[in-house]
Amino acid sequence: MTALSTNELQEPEELLKQKTLRVIDIIDGTSVDGPGLRTSIYLAGCRHACPGCHNPSTWDFAAGQDMSIASLLDVIEEAEFPVTISGGDPLYQSEGVTLLAREIKRRLGLDIWLYTGFTIEEIRASERLSQPLPYIDTIVDGPFIESKRDPSLHFRGSTNQRIIHLKH
Amino acid sequence: MIQTVVKRDGRVVGFNEEKIRAAIRKAMLQTEKGEDESLLQKITDRITVTGTDQMTVEQIQDRVELELMKSPRKEVAKKYIAYRDQRNIARRAKTRDMFLEIIEAKNNDITRENANMNTDSPAGMMMKFASETTKPFVDDYLLSPEVREAVRGGYLHIHDKDYYPTKSLTCVQHPLDRILKHGFSAGHGESRPAKRIETASIIACISLETAQNEMHGGQAIPAFDFYLAPFVRSSLIEELKRLEEVSGKSLEHLYHKELTDYVKRDISGLEGEERLFAHAVNCTVSRVHQAMEAFIHNMNTIHSRGGNQVVFSSINYGTDTSAEGRCIIRELLNSTYEGVGGGATAIFPIQIWKKKRGVSYLPEDPNYDLYQLACKVTARRFFPNFLNLDATFNQHEKWDASDPERYKYEVATMGCRTRVFENRFGEKTSIGRGNLSFTTINIVRIAIECMVIKDKDERISKFFSKLDEVLDIAAVQLCERFDFQKTALAKQFPLLMSRLWNGGDSLAPEDTIEAVINQGTLGIGFIGLAEALVALTGKHHGECEEAQALGLRIVSHMRSRVNEYCEKYRHNFSVLATPAEGLSGKFTAKDRRSFGIIPGVTDRIFYTNSNHVPVYYHCSPRHKAKVEAPYHELTGGGHIFYVEIDGDATHNPKAISDIVDLMDRYNIGYGSVNHNRNRCMKCGYEDASENLEKCPSCGSSHIDRLQRITGYLVGTTDRWNSAKLAELNDRVIHK
Repeated sequence: MTALSTNELQEPEELLKQKTLRVIDIIDGTSVDGPGLRTSIYLAGCRHACPGCHNPSTWDFAAGQDMSIASLLDVIEEAEFPVTISGGDPLYQSEGVTLLAREIKRRLGLDIWLYTGFTIEEIRASERLSQPLPYIDTIVDGPFIESKRDPSLHFRGSTNQRIIHLKH
Repeated sequence: MIQTVVKRDGRVVGFNEEKIRAAIRKAMLQTEKGEDESLLQKITDRITVTGTDQMTVEQIQDRVELELMKSPRKEVAKKYIAYRDQRNIARRAKTRDMFLEIIEAKNNDITRENANMNTDSPAGMMMKFASETTKPFVDDYLLSPEVREAVRGGYLHIHDKDYYPTKSLTCVQHPLDRILKHGFSAGHGESRPAKRIETASIIACISLETAQNEMHGGQAIPAFDFYLAPFVRSSLIEELKRLEEVSGKSLEHLYHKELTDYVKRDISGLEGEERLFAHAVNCTVSRVHQAMEAFIHNMNTIHSRGGNQVVFSSINYGTDTSAEGRCIIRELLNSTYEGVGGGATAIFPIQIWKKKRGVSYLPEDPNYDLYQLACKVTARRFFPNFLNLDATFNQHEKWDASDPERYKYEVATMGCRTRVFENRFGEKTSIGRGNLSFTTINIVRIAIECMVIKDKDERISKFFSKLDEVLDIAAVQLCERFDFQKTALAKQFPLLMSRLWNGGDSLAPEDTIEAVINQGTLGIGFIGLAEALVALTGKHHGECEEAQALGLRIVSHMRSRVNEYCEKYRHNFSVLATPAEGLSGKFTAKDRRSFGIIPGVTDRIFYTNSNHVPVYYHCSPRHKAKVEAPYHELTGGGHIFYVEIDGDATHNPKAISDIVDLMDRYNIGYGSVNHNRNRCMKCGYEDASENLEKCPSCGSSHIDRLQRITGYLVGTTDRWNSAKLAELNDRVIHK
């Protein structure tokens, strides 16, 4: 089910301290990235380059700073809200995201939303992109398409984007 | 360097330093130590040199006062102040200027003191003239010298001082059942007991409106659902009787038929009595909906107090689990959601959801469905707010789920936050009681005065001793006002004393109210805890645990002193987390004049509301909840927890219930959620974007941006005073 080796599973604490994600911002208590108040983690880097993107500064893979999975988990635990992983596009850091999502589920049991510019079909077709799927509850998928923009949509920007509740 | 002086009548004359000298000399000669020529010259020189080119007489006198206070001759300052006071009483040239400001309908801080009042209308102007002229009367003739000095020095603010001469009390929670059962007489018309929902809803309006004219604060209904529920059933019976006439059959056996819920259903396919009964229920639900809509509409349009104010009305509900009570709640929420007129958000009444575990909060609770609806309505319409009946301090030992009158033991609040519950002189309840008057302490000023002390412990202990002095004066002042209020005759407040106030019905019209007003509370409030903590420790309680510990020590201290006053003076004193609409900038302006701009303390033109984390400080809602929660238990006179959320809550009612969960978890008494709500006045388009200037749908720039001010909603910000406006612009969302 996961791409993690048995070796990694034996030493998770150490691994969580070593493994990092490139993080632009963490917002604790937002109401715009999914139902309820949530902790949103914005990861750096995106190559979709959608015209009209409301935050092109997050495209840069060097933006923000490195944070270990362990310290991210601390922040999430402290905030106690369900989690949204966004970006950038978090799936460019698929491996780290998988680890983070897995530990959020195992340790904290919190609901997880993930925003990505890939479609669910593209994700399922790719071994690398689909790694975190088992730990994600809801995916908001697809690129932002300016001509399909609709401000009345809930939690997404254009009508092609879908809110997909994954059933595990 | 002062060159010219603006006299009181507006004339500009050349500066003459001899006038300053003469005034100081006069004051010195009245003291035991007498004249001190070198000090006199030093002060005069300093003022002359450091003053601006042109100054008013009042400004120069302020400077003289300040210099004298800073000098070793404090007794001269006292004489000088006394002399100024006398002169002012004799003069009152200010009255003319103030009248002119009102006449010209200028938008200034006098006319915008209260955001829900229209002071441009003739009735509004008339009231403003009266209000502005009674204030100096109170200062000169009704306050004791010690109190007057504390008010003048900017340590104390007496709320609703303009009403002081009228002996009015602040507010009351209406025992509406008494009115509905027995009727009442308001002015020239008598009202009979209500028989149906429409009448009951109108009588509720009239009760609020009439009492508003007899008091100076807000009006609330503590258990709207319980009070109106019987009229849902009587309206159903009325519908059945109508059907009896049509069908010629008796339906009497259906009059009291049990119902699980009053919901509309399709009657096609139904036959016989079932059809008739379902039809009667459908008609009843429509009537209740209409009656609730009318209630909201009336509360936004009926003006009181000479026609310039709508009633500051609040209604508490949510805990009646009967089918009838639930029908009231559901239809009230539905019509609130729909809005008034063309769908605009109703500003009144403030609605308050009584959240109680086992009743109206948890998924297994009988009113959970309505709680969910309440969250959805708040997400769009700002109301209802949430009152936490489970908070340790809001519980009542006599509450029993099987008691049909259990609402008597449920706390209710005024929408603005005023809370009356504990009672040393009778049953602990919110109903039939209210606040008598309240006074706020400027703890920031006290803290600033201690800033010169280098040693932190010494500084803080000095703060506490000064605070004690001001607390004592506040208690004395409230007692003095109480002693004045109690001389009022029952006939001065006819509805209040005949039907609403507990014990009032035992009074004859010519009796004084002395025997009954101890049911009310005296509030000692505070403002600017955040700024006071910055002055004392360099940090506020939102950003520093040490500051938070000191903040809690300060408010706990106030609480224990207030308990002592209860014993000493035999009144229901309480600590109030002051809302401070008109006060927000007044204290700050005065402190700035005295101390200049101190970073983090007087650098904004407002002080932070009571114990709140400053609106300009970024933090998550959970952090804000954790920091502010412990103050709720200490402030029995009222408190409110606000969260500003970042998105369009209409898409996300769960964000609202998440905030209620924070209240539940951290023992917060009362709270509400603020968010943006824009409405195009032309086409009705609504959204939640920040600073919307132009309607994206029709292009109109006539946008109503709804905001909350001291608990009340205000449509446009035109009527906000400058300090509150500055606070609004500094508000950050909590995320």
